[in-house]
Amino acid sequence: MMDISLCLKRPSRLVDSKRVRMASGFQWLLFTVLLLYLTDQVNSQKKRTPHDLKCVTNNLQVWDCSWRAPSGAGRGAAYEVCIENRSHSCYRLEKNTKLPPLFPGDYEITVNPLYESGSSKSKFILNEKNVSLIPETPEILNLSADFSTSTLHLKWNDKGSVFPHYSNVIWEIKVLRKKNMEIVKLVTYSTTLNGKDTVHHWNWTSDMPLECAIHYVGIRCYIDDPQFSGRKEWSDWSLLKNISWPPDSQTRVFPQDKVILAGSDITVCCVTQEKVLSAQIGSTHCPLIHLDGENVAIKIRNISASASSGTNVVFSVEDNIFGTVVFAGYPPDIPQKLNCETYDLKEIICTWNPGRPTSLEGPRSTSYTLFESFSGKYVRFNGDEVSSNESYQLFFQILSNQEIYNFTLNAQNLLGQTESTLLVNITEKVHPRIPTSVKAKDINSTAVTLSWHLPGNFTKIKLLCQIEISKTNSEHELRNVIIRGVESSNYLTTVDKLNPYTMYTFRIRCSTDPFWKWSKWSNEKQYLTTEAVPSKGPDTWREWSSDGKNLIIYWKPLPINEANGKILSYNVSYSSDEETQSLSEIPDPQHKAELQLDKNDYIISVVAKNSAGSSPPSKIASLEIPNDDLKIEQTVGIGNRILLTWNYNPNMTCDYVIKWCNSSQSGPCLMDWKKVPPNITETVIESDQFRPGVRYNFSVYGCRNQGYQLLRSIIGYVEELAPAVAPDFTVEDTSADSILVKWEEIPVEELRGFLRGYLFYFEKGERDTSKIMGLESGRFDIKVKNITDISQKTLRIADLQGKTSYHLVLRAYTGAGMGPERSMFVVTKENSEGLIIAILIPVAVAVIIGVVTSILCYRKREWIKETFYPDIPNPENCKALQFQKSVCEGNSGLKTLEMNPCTPNNVEVLETRSVAPKIEDTEIISPVAERPEDSCDAEPENHVVVSYCPPVIEEELANPGAEEGGGASQVIYIDVQSMYQPQAKPEEELDSDPVGGAGYKPQMHLPVTSTVDDLDADDDLDKTAGYRPQANVNTWNLVSPDSPRSTDSSSEIVSFGSPCSINSRQFLIPPKDEDSPKSSGGGWSFTNFFQNKPKD
Amino acid sequence: MQMQTSTLLQTYLQHQGSPFNDPRFSSPGLSLTTLPPTDMPFEIWHGLEDGVRLSLTQEAFWSFSQHLQLAETDQMALHPDDFILLSQLEEARLKAKGLAGNLAGIMTALDLPTPPANSPLGTVPLGDSAFQRKCRGYVIIRDYGFWTDRAVTFLGELKTKYSE
Repeated sequence: MMDISLCLKRPSRLVDSKRVRMASGFQWLLFTVLLLYLTDQVNSQKKRTPHDLKCVTNNLQVWDCSWRAPSGAGRGAAYEVCIENRSHSCYRLEKNTKLPPLFPGDYEITVNPLYESGSSKSKFILNEKNVSLIPETPEILNLSADFSTSTLHLKWNDKGSVFPHYSNVIWEIKVLRKKNMEIVKLVTYSTTLNGKDTVHHWNWTSDMPLECAIHYVGIRCYIDDPQFSGRKEWSDWSLLKNISWPPDSQTRVFPQDKVILAGSDITVCCVTQEKVLSAQIGSTHCPLIHLDGENVAIKIRNISASASSGTNVVFSVEDNIFGTVVFAGYPPDIPQKLNCETYDLKEIICTWNPGRPTSLEGPRSTSYTLFESFSGKYVRFNGDEVSSNESYQLFFQILSNQEIYNFTLNAQNLLGQTESTLLVNITEKVHPRIPTSVKAKDINSTAVTLSWHLPGNFTKIKLLCQIEISKTNSEHELRNVIIRGVESSNYLTTVDKLNPYTMYTFRIRCSTDPFWKWSKWSNEKQYLTTEAVPSKGPDTWREWSSDGKNLIIYWKPLPINEANGKILSYNVSYSSDEETQSLSEIPDPQHKAELQLDKNDYIISVVAKNSAGSSPPSKIASLEIPNDDLKIEQTVGIGNRILLTWNYNPNMTCDYVIKWCNSSQSGPCLMDWKKVPPNITETVIESDQFRPGVRYNFSVYGCRNQGYQLLRSIIGYVEELAPAVAPDFTVEDTSADSILVKWEEIPVEELRGFLRGYLFYFEKGERDTSKIMGLESGRFDIKVKNITDISQKTLRIADLQGKTSYHLVLRAYTGAGMGPERSMFVVTKENSEGLIIAILIPVAVAVIIGVVTSILCYRKREWIKETFYPDIPNPENCKALQFQKSVCEGNSGLKTLEMNPCTPNNVEVLETRSVAPKIEDTEIISPVAERPEDSCDAEPENHVVVSYCPPVIEEELANPGAEEGGGASQVIYIDVQSMYQPQAKPEEELDSDPVGGAGYKPQMHLPVTSTVDDLDADDDLDKTAGYRPQANVNTWNLVSPDSPRSTDSSSEIVSFGSPCSINSRQFLIPPKDEDSPKSSGGGWSFTNFFQNKPKD
Repeated sequence: MQMQTSTLLQTYLQHQGSPFNDPRFSSPGLSLTTLPPTDMPFEIWHGLEDGVRLSLTQEAFWSFSQHLQLAETDQMALHPDDFILLSQLEEARLKAKGLAGNLAGIMTALDLPTPPANSPLGTVPLGDSAFQRKCRGYVIIRDYGFWTDRAVTFLGELKTKYSE
């Protein structure tokens, strides 16, 4: 390189000079040819001289220079190398020469081949910058592996002794995996050469267990010497060293029982000679990473915290499973709430909360060490000392003469460690244990001595103890006592200011001074103090007996706080100005005494006695000062209390006394009493004995001049109730329009309040049918009378109706409401005058109407006659009605209205009048008559066709003359058409048959004939002889019940008569609507009523 | 006893995590050479004399009482707070030991030679890793169930045979 650059200096200058003059392509071509020529000349020259001098160094102490020998030089050729710039030192060498390092600057190096003919010497310019520093190839001293941690340990020597001065060295280490040498790690490592041989170590932890595959390691270096200005290059790689798991026929999974941080990654492999089919972590299958041979691995990323049994990783082969358990968890949390205190100043107990669970249990759980820095002592946590899942504790023995402790609690598991510190003055952190053996002992009736045991070494501190004193129905009292600690641990104190003969309950707790924590309360200790003399005399009152001869002294039992013991008996004495007398001792349960006093005024004294002595006497005067101005007042309490007030009376020098009793009690009335100081004018009376609805009498007494005067008398209720019963009432008097009712008072016990009035209800009503309900709902038929005058005991109810039943109801009410009702039914008396009037007036009206009607009828008789009874034309005067003689010939006897079955005959009445004839008095029913009117109207002539058929009445025929005289022959008119429908011709034919239907049928006796079926049409004419009632039958619609038509349910025709009757029946009042068959609703039998009435 | 053995196996597998607690978990390839064999065909077993079967059964349950002790120790190390599983293992161990004692009594009554009652358990294979302990416990309880079924049937036959 150097000679080339040297030789190229001149051509380059030549080229530069020519480039100025030549600019065309020809010139460039010429230049190229020339250049090739010169190059060839140079190469040929080089081949004849040593060339390509190259110098390298690996330790900066020797430059190792080499050059290419001239062509033709044999092996072992010698050269003379001279360095001109120095003191012309020359070396006789072979091909390579090791030169000492040269100082910076250019040196001319002459290499002259010796004994080589045709060769010329070469000159080189050598500078340090042209020298390469290539370190010697490092050598790995040792490569080892810690398979449990998957760590490789690399050891090598830097050979620094060969370097003249300090230099920085960069080592590059590569880790290859598997037989195909996949690079898995390439890392640089810097050290310093210090002139000595130094062995370096490098550790690397593999993400894959080292057992899974073979691992190779190689190393090279790079020396960064700042004083060397030449080129620095990496050394060659060292020889690779490898680590592999010793071959084993058994299948194994790596790593085993690995504890890792939750959320991290882990690679698990299976070293096997069998084919692994699948791999899974927990229940999740993972893709296989194939390693050398049949070995496989899986990569688990972000693993979750394990359960207590760990996380299973399982590799499945054909008929077996292999696996490992990974325990993923967390390093221990910083111990929280670290607290150290002592119960007894003998032992320190430190408690803490472990914080976040580590998910590691058993041998992988966190271990704790409590270290005290002043003493250098420590205690380790034992899992058996765990008191609960959330609180750990350790005990540390207190050291003598040491009060201040500096604790460090270290928590450690396989994933890390943490610690917490605490500095305490243990004498200020005393939490005494529970006091035991609490005892009490008398001092006197108001003081006791309490003793207890408190374990602990408290001789150097003071104890602050609290005594809770409680008694029945009283608030707790707390008393604090400060006691110096004693070695015996037994403590006592005096508790005074107690009440005599009182059951006390004591309990104790202690702390230390200064206060840290109270101990738990000791067990309760009950103790009864001894008795003392009663502090007061009993509360007394006196009442005169009902006969006024004896004075009864009452006193109340002393309350427990005044009795100071169990009261055994009472002494009662009374004294006047003249004498003093005493009764015999009265035992305790008795709280009254009766005294027979004369007319003197006495002072009665009562003394209570217990085992400790007698109480001061209670005195009361027997004198009762009369009060003429006394009214009975009323009051109602509030809740269970009654407020009583009175006017201030300066004359009352001693107490006011309010006594009360149940008003219903007979005899001396006393339930209880209450004494009030003289300067007070009101009091509230309360008593558990008070009951709602019970009347009580309250008496307010004033005490003056050693005597009592009744100031007020009050009746009252603590609470009013509605009456329990209804007033008992009776009817005193009853008239036709009024009722007088009288009722009785309700007894006080059942009134249950102050009576405010009565409500009286009444209404019309019978027993069992009338019931006054919903009185308040305002029923209009109920009358109510509110009687607010409670002295009123009668009521007259006026304006009632006579002979009427009334329902009466009476109820009483108090301030609390209505009582029950009592009812009664009363009937008022009859009103006779009214009845007479009620009869006479209708009779008189009827008579007057009759008279007026008679007069009017008389005056209008002609009009009435013409209107209602027109004359019937005489058929004899009608030529058309001249029957042929042959009609009735052949009859054996003439019978009037003999009705035999026959074919109906038609009678046609012809008149010359312009209006249609009326045949109202004709008792003939003709089928033709049932024709509609319009068909009649259609006839051009005025004629009426009447069909007649007498029924077969054989019984009547046997006695035909019975009713002949009066013209009372009975004829049954039936619907002939319907009855003889088989023989009847159609209406069209009837209309067109003048023979069968024409002519008047005279009154004659019809012979008895055979059945209708035997008759022919000719016979019909013969059998129609006899009487024929005249009527306008075409307006009637009559149907026999036996006629076929009558069986038609849809037919609205009503039938009249019967074929078996011989009574003549006819409609008197034909239906108004002649077109409507409905109008044929009725009729009556009226023989010949209109017979012989000439038609007008 | 069979029901208790089945319950014990279920409880055990439930406490070992997946895939042991999978409903269909079964690994017949797992075995423990120190356990009484379970591969004897039924015909051969049934053809053995009563004395031989008594002896094999007694030895089996004595062996199981010690293996169950081992399983209990393994589980104690894995999760010491799991009192349910530990108590069931202890109960099974006591029953196995009791049954072995009863069988020894029957054998004595029948003038059959009985093995020494306190023959110690040798080194148990399958390793000491957590996974191997889980597998070991599984195999012990599984085979214990097999022998329980076999013993119940066999003792039933004996009862029928000697009560006639």
